Parts: sequence; structure tokens; C-alpha cells
Amino acid sequence: MAQVLVVDDSSTVRDEVAGFLKKNGLDVATANDGRDGLAKLKADPKIKLVVSDVNMPNMDGLTMAEKIRSELGNKTVNIVMLTTENSPVMKERGKAAGVKGWIVKPFKGDAVIATFKKLCE
Amino acid sequence: MHAPAKLQVKVLVLEEEGGAADTLKAFCEVQDLLPVKVQPEHLMSVLRSSIDLGALFLAEAYACQGLQGRRLAHELHRIRPELPIFLRCTADTALSEADQRVVRHAYRLDQLEGMTPVIQTSLFSLVYPEPLVRGIAELTLQALQGQFKNITLMAEAPIIVRDRLIYGEVYSLIPLEASWCRGYMMLQIEERGLQRLQSHQLGEVETTHRDSIRAINNVFSETTNLIWGAFKNRFIACEDATLSKMTQVPIVINHPQRYISFGSEDPQLCFRYHLWDNALQQGEAIELHQRFVFNLSWSPELFRENQVTADSMLASGELELF
Repeated sequence: MAQVLVVDDSSTVRDEVAGFLKKNGLDVATANDGRDGLAKLKADPKIKLVVSDVNMPNMDGLTMAEKIRSELGNKTVNIVMLTTENSPVMKERGKAAGVKGWIVKPFKGDAVIATFKKLCE
Repeated sequence: MHAPAKLQVKVLVLEEEGGAADTLKAFCEVQDLLPVKVQPEHLMSVLRSSIDLGALFLAEAYACQGLQGRRLAHELHRIRPELPIFLRCTADTALSEADQRVVRHAYRLDQLEGMTPVIQTSLFSLVYPEPLVRGIAELTLQALQGQFKNITLMAEAPIIVRDRLIYGEVYSLIPLEASWCRGYMMLQIEERGLQRLQSHQLGEVETTHRDSIRAINNVFSETTNLIWGAFKNRFIACEDATLSKMTQVPIVINHPQRYISFGSEDPQLCFRYHLWDNALQQGEAIELHQRFVFNLSWSPELFRENQVTADSMLASGELELF
């Protein structure tokens, strides 16, 4: 059972983000694309926060966010995108899908850990 | 249209006559060429190892491995056909049809001034907007700094290259698509350099395959992704996104021959960066080569830099709550 699900096709990013969150006391699960992320979220009702990349194979992060809302109708899961994308169009699509926050890579854990912990409550 | 960036081209000067070499050197300075003189005994090894050349300036009297003049030009063309050869002759003699296939232009020393048009069309056939060139170096340095902690970085002045030789063993290609360009960014690095960097960078990361090739490729892939994202955010407008479904051409990579072709004869924009791991007291610099290959489309007159709006002023790594 995890509190946070980190979704990224890059194992470097998954390891970095998951390692940092674990070190800060959070239980973390990982997924390597949107399809994997959606499946793991469906299987683990304890997940409160999804930290996801946008550009991934099989299913991108925004499509995953849209499916989380449409298929799970889950308002208790907070979604934050961690991506190189910074376009207003993408952010608008994220907002419409219920995404709570947006981080432009690279990941700087110290800047976000307090907010992540709140989003896990 | 933005002002073009002032870029240089590195050329090999195969010339043993002192006076002619001096004249050629002065000419190169005016033409934004970086002349590199090569002694005959080193020519072949330089040709094999140099990966950032733009052209060869060969004197008819220059001899190497028993070959001289036009015969040497044919041999040089056989080894490096992508490099235009400018042959300095001492007299006006017409080039044969076979010679014309390997020599871009023959000239006498007193005709150097008239060479400007052929230099421009042969070596500077693409112009790159100054904000693009400056911006690429800026965003790449930021991305590298973000990806690799505790490193010192330095970017060399960018140059234009024509050769097709690959640097190092690890390289990545990623498409760049906009209304003003279509092509690729390529990053190249030596595998041992990447391993050295990675062994320090991953010190605190939990990973089960720290030393595996897969981990190395992932780090490099993520570095490419960071630079690509920053490039898109800065230079590619949102409305260009639909262009990404247009035609592609095959990219040919021949590992044993260290050869790569993008199907176009156009020159490439080349940047080179040096990274030092600050944790190592006396480590040699690790080189990172970056090339921009706009082989599918290039319309610099349509280039524009995205305006930074108040909404996007957020620094990377910070959380923007909706």
C-alpha cells in the first residue's frame, strides 16, 4: 500500500523522485507509463497523490489524468504533473482533467515536499 | 528576420608554402574560417579523428603518402566525401571531369578574393538566427546543471560542421518540429565519460542497476528530454504541435564506420560542452557534443522566440498549484 504513485517512463526520474519521497517518510509505488499508472492506481485505494510525467509511451500523463477522473471518478486522488512541458495549452488540458499542480523538470524535491505531504493527507 | 549568428567553420589547411599559408590564414579570418594546419605525416590520422571539419584547403604541391595534387584530392575525397575540397593551383589549368567531381573549386592564390561566393554557398548555406544559437547554449547549460549535480560547465563557441562522423559511443536523436524548422537534435558522448558522471550522480539514488548500460542510457535519455523540453518551451509555439505528424526520412547510422546520415547534404549546427565532476580532484573534462540537423525543413525567416508571459515565469522544479 502506497501513498504516492510516481509515473515516468524514465527509470532515472522514477528512482530519483521515489527515492527522495521515501527518504522523506512517504510510501511510494512506481509505474512506467500512463497505462501502468492507471492499473496500479486502480489496484491500490490508499494512493492519495500521483506524480506523473506527460510524454510517455502507451499512454501519456494527461490522458491518464483524464481516465482517472472518467473511469475512477476519484476526487480524492491529487494529480501533479512533473514534465519538461510548459505550454499553457497543456496546462489548460491538465486543469480540465483535474490536475492539481504542474512542475517543470528537473525535480527539486526540497521545493515541493511540504506540499506533497499535504496532498497526501 | 533575426540577425544571423556569427558562426565559424573549422578547415584543414594542407599547405607547406609559408607565404601561401600566411595569405590563406588572413583570408580565413575574413571569411569566419578557423584554419588548422596539418603536416603531411599527420594528415591521415587527423582526418580519421577530426569530427568537426567544414572543408579542406589543399595545395597542389602538398604531398602525403606518395600522393600529391589532384591524386591526393581524389584520395581525400574517397576518405571524407562530405568535405568540400578547395584546390590551390599555381597555374590556370582546367580540371578534368573526374577532378571536378572531387574538387569543389580550384583557385590561384591571387584569386582568393573572388572565392567569397563559393565559400558562402559551400560552407555557410544555412544561416542561424542569433537568438536561437544563444538560446540553445543557455537552455542546454541550464538543463545539464539541473541533471548533473555539483559539476562545472563550459560551452565552446558553436561552429558549423559538414562531416558525418559520430563522436563517442552513446548518442540520442530527437525530432524538432515547428513551422520554422523540421529536423533533429543529436547528443553524443563517450560511454566511459557518461559512466564516470553517472557513478557520482547516482550516489544517493536507490537503483538496482546503477552500473548497467540501461541506467546509463536512461540518464542520457532524460538529459536529452530536458533539453528538448526546454527547446520546445522557448522556441516552438503551441500551435505548431500538429506539425509533428508530417513526413520523416530514414536516419542511417553505421557504427563500425562511425557514420550517420540524415538524408540531407546540408551542414549541421554544432555545440560542444565540457563537464567537470567537482567531486573528482583531477578529473579530465567530459565532452558533450550537440548538433542541430534541420534536414526536413528550414525557414529561419519564420523563426521567433516565445515571449515569456507572467504565467510562465515559474522557475523549473517549483510546483505551480492550479
